Amino acid sequence: MSAVLTNPLRVGLRQERIIPAQCIVIFGASGDLTQRKLIPALFELYRQRRLPSEFAVLGCARRPWSDEEFRSRMADALGEEIAGHGHIWEGFAAGLFYEPADLSNPASILALGQRLEQIDRQRATRGNRTFYLSVSPAFYGSGTRALAAAGLLDDPDRTRVVIEKPFGTDYPSAQALNKVVQASAKEKQIFRIDHYLGKETVQNILVLRFANTIFEPIWNRNYIANVQITAAETVGVEERAGYYESSGALRDMVQNHLTQILALTAMEPPGRFDAEAIRNEKAKVLQAARLAHQGEPWKCCVRGQYGAGGNARSPIPGYREEPGVNPNTTTETYVAMKLFIDNWRWQGVPFYVRTGKRLPKRLSEVVLTFREAPVHLFDAAGGAPTPNQLILRIQPDEGADIRFEVKAPGSGMRSRPVDMAFSYDESFGEPSDEGYVRLLADAMLGDPTLFTRSDEVEAAWRLYTPLLELIEDAPWRLPVQPYEARTWGPAAADNLLAEDGLVWRRP
Amino acid sequence: MSTQLTLQAPTALPPSEVPNYLQTLWGEGLQGSDGATTFTLVVYEASWLQQHLIRTGRADGPLTGLLEPELIKAAKQAVPELGLPLSTAVMDQRLAWELGQQPGHHQAQDLRGQFVAAAISAHKPRRLITLAPTLDEGQTLETLVAAYCPLPDEGAGGTACGDVVVLRGGRGSLHQSLELIHPLIRDDLPCWVWWNSSLDEAPELLEALAPPSRRLVVDSSLGHPRRCIDLLVRCIKAGQAVNDLNWLRLRTWRESLAMVFDPPSRRTALEQVVQLDIDVEGDHPLKGLLLAAWIADRLGWHLVESYDIPGNGDGDGIGASFERTDGAAVQLRLMPVPVGSPKIHPGALVGLRLICAPQGRPPLCVILCSESGGCMRLEAGGMASMELAEDVVPLPNESEEVELARLLAGGHDSTNPLLASAASIAARLLPA
Repeated sequence: MSAVLTNPLRVGLRQERIIPAQCIVIFGASGDLTQRKLIPALFELYRQRRLPSEFAVLGCARRPWSDEEFRSRMADALGEEIAGHGHIWEGFAAGLFYEPADLSNPASILALGQRLEQIDRQRATRGNRTFYLSVSPAFYGSGTRALAAAGLLDDPDRTRVVIEKPFGTDYPSAQALNKVVQASAKEKQIFRIDHYLGKETVQNILVLRFANTIFEPIWNRNYIANVQITAAETVGVEERAGYYESSGALRDMVQNHLTQILALTAMEPPGRFDAEAIRNEKAKVLQAARLAHQGEPWKCCVRGQYGAGGNARSPIPGYREEPGVNPNTTTETYVAMKLFIDNWRWQGVPFYVRTGKRLPKRLSEVVLTFREAPVHLFDAAGGAPTPNQLILRIQPDEGADIRFEVKAPGSGMRSRPVDMAFSYDESFGEPSDEGYVRLLADAMLGDPTLFTRSDEVEAAWRLYTPLLELIEDAPWRLPVQPYEARTWGPAAADNLLAEDGLVWRRP
Repeated sequence: MSTQLTLQAPTALPPSEVPNYLQTLWGEGLQGSDGATTFTLVVYEASWLQQHLIRTGRADGPLTGLLEPELIKAAKQAVPELGLPLSTAVMDQRLAWELGQQPGHHQAQDLRGQFVAAAISAHKPRRLITLAPTLDEGQTLETLVAAYCPLPDEGAGGTACGDVVVLRGGRGSLHQSLELIHPLIRDDLPCWVWWNSSLDEAPELLEALAPPSRRLVVDSSLGHPRRCIDLLVRCIKAGQAVNDLNWLRLRTWRESLAMVFDPPSRRTALEQVVQLDIDVEGDHPLKGLLLAAWIADRLGWHLVESYDIPGNGDGDGIGASFERTDGAAVQLRLMPVPVGSPKIHPGALVGLRLICAPQGRPPLCVILCSESGGCMRLEAGGMASMELAEDVVPLPNESEEVELARLLAGGHDSTNPLLASAASIAARLLPA
């Protein structure tokens, strides 16, 4: 986002929904996510006047902090964001409370219930509560059960639980976790968060497809030759080695974020814009998706792991040299795979999905490549006409491009490709809200449209089950292939497309 | 969405029995349920136009309080028949007044307060209190009460219920009913008061119904402009949460103008505005003034003076001089223009022209209009050398009830700061 003057006429025009009287209870309040994402997102909502005066945040963790200490720590965490907004911060901080709580201790949860009643009286929050489990995944099931046992989830209209990723580690564990949380709360109370769905550009996939008439008629196997979905990161494992070693790229990125993008790209139009209609269509398309070679997944998947890279002046360590990583680890930092969706719209159209760390660029995008013109009437500057492409840029430089052939200037009739570009930056010039701002607001409003339903989660895990089983049972069939840091992954990933006469887009 | 009737036929009760009846209803009839914990909505539903259209035989009943398409059609037909200018809007008080002078004794069932727009019932009001004044000033107070459960949307479920209370009678008897109304408004829930009538009407009743602690909804297109804007400013100064449907109907104009300047390449032009022209239908300038005031507020202009501009038969206009933050002058001209087919509310916007003169670049002229014809007057005169950005502003085809429902959904407990700023400037723009 380039620095531009704010459009003064735009200020205050967004017709946002106002969140009803509410107390949001954050478990894991002493953790990193709370300080980096959740409290800043809530403060942003407060600044946008989207939180009512009857609002409270109750931070919960094992540490014996006081309300004042919690407020002070959150002020420190927000740092510059509250500079110049002192009076706004004061108003927001007056609604911040802290209660030492242990999800595994029933007495502690009962005490929490009493504190919530006190806050209801103090802040007039009327029993509307959103419980955010920003805790170790090991506590998702037991934590939800503890809340239910204390009667804190009894009212399905006024209470809800937000559960962070990962929701399970494979299909059976996701099923088991679903059973536990669904025994404690109704599905409409359970909000499984995937912060990718909070991104403006991910939501724009829906608008682009279903608010325009020019795309949907050609959004199918008759016109689209293949689809590529890429999420590339330049960073390595950073501070997350402990978690990443047990998850890898497949669990960390593909099963959730990329699969959600796949679902939005491939789903059928919903009958109406509501949570269930959209989630029904997403679940259906995921249930129709499969690995290109179900029985022999090693033929359609590539795993990679970054090695050392960079140069003498700024060397980049390989994954196995990163702090906290097992020097002999076989955890993948890169995955590429080919999928099919067995339905009328997509039969035979390959979907190529890739993600990796330490790649040359940080970007996420969806590329729809259209079929070639049936007859080539013109010479192409590049030898052959470039297929039309629609490129949805999710981050950074958010926007969309359409690539098509035009007549190259000159006396002949040679064609060459050009891009017609839409850029959020150039068209709107305003930064979008952080994904958590949107998702927290939706959760408190009880709108689950951008949250993942149980059948979606299970379908996503089921889709990758052959791959997970192969990695577990016969890892030698799908070894991690090294690639140099800051390159586009192992050569085998290129071969995956080369077999189909294609190449990955080099963005 | 279609409107809904109360599920239970309303029970007519003597006014003094209403509180006890409601207590019994909730205590026994509804198994001790507390009902929806949402809000109370008090509506002053005069519907003079509808009442006179029905009385004079120009429209059929029942009288619902909703401005249905057939009523609008009948009102439009009545404008030329009564010799009013074709620019007269359907909700212009002069139309209702002229109809009031016509003979007629047709009657229809009065269902005001019992028809609930689905957009409103979707928000599950805990209590809907409707004050329904009758044409017969001497009519004694009638009270009707019914329990009410909104029909849930498909799959939406939900059992939260509320009740409706209708108070019907001459204005005098309604005034006397205030003692009955106040105890019916629960202190622990927000209360919205929707004055769905002219602001010239029954100011004491309005004041009594809507003390500063209640959220007030008015329509500043209905009533004398000075009275309307003064009321808005007074409420805002008193710290009352006030919402103006006339302001809300400006939404598409504000959005369309903001869209012109969304591309960063155009932003600097906003600092170089030299002229603002606004055309409005008829002689109610408030909507146009609120738009001008919003622009002035957002761009940091300082009002120097405002004055009348003598019109040429279509009514007088309003002019004003502003000073930009860099000291340069900006001229405003707000002019009434005749239209053959006016909108529903008086003073609807016809067009807007904003001329920016950035240094070293050709001037930028932004023209927005409500329909292609509305652009023509503003396109005339010296536009050829300017970069032109034109757009036709979409007209929101939404009823008052839908606009109100949007407010209820927002739960706004304070006045929109954009309206608060614009209202005080608009009050100063309107010549004394």
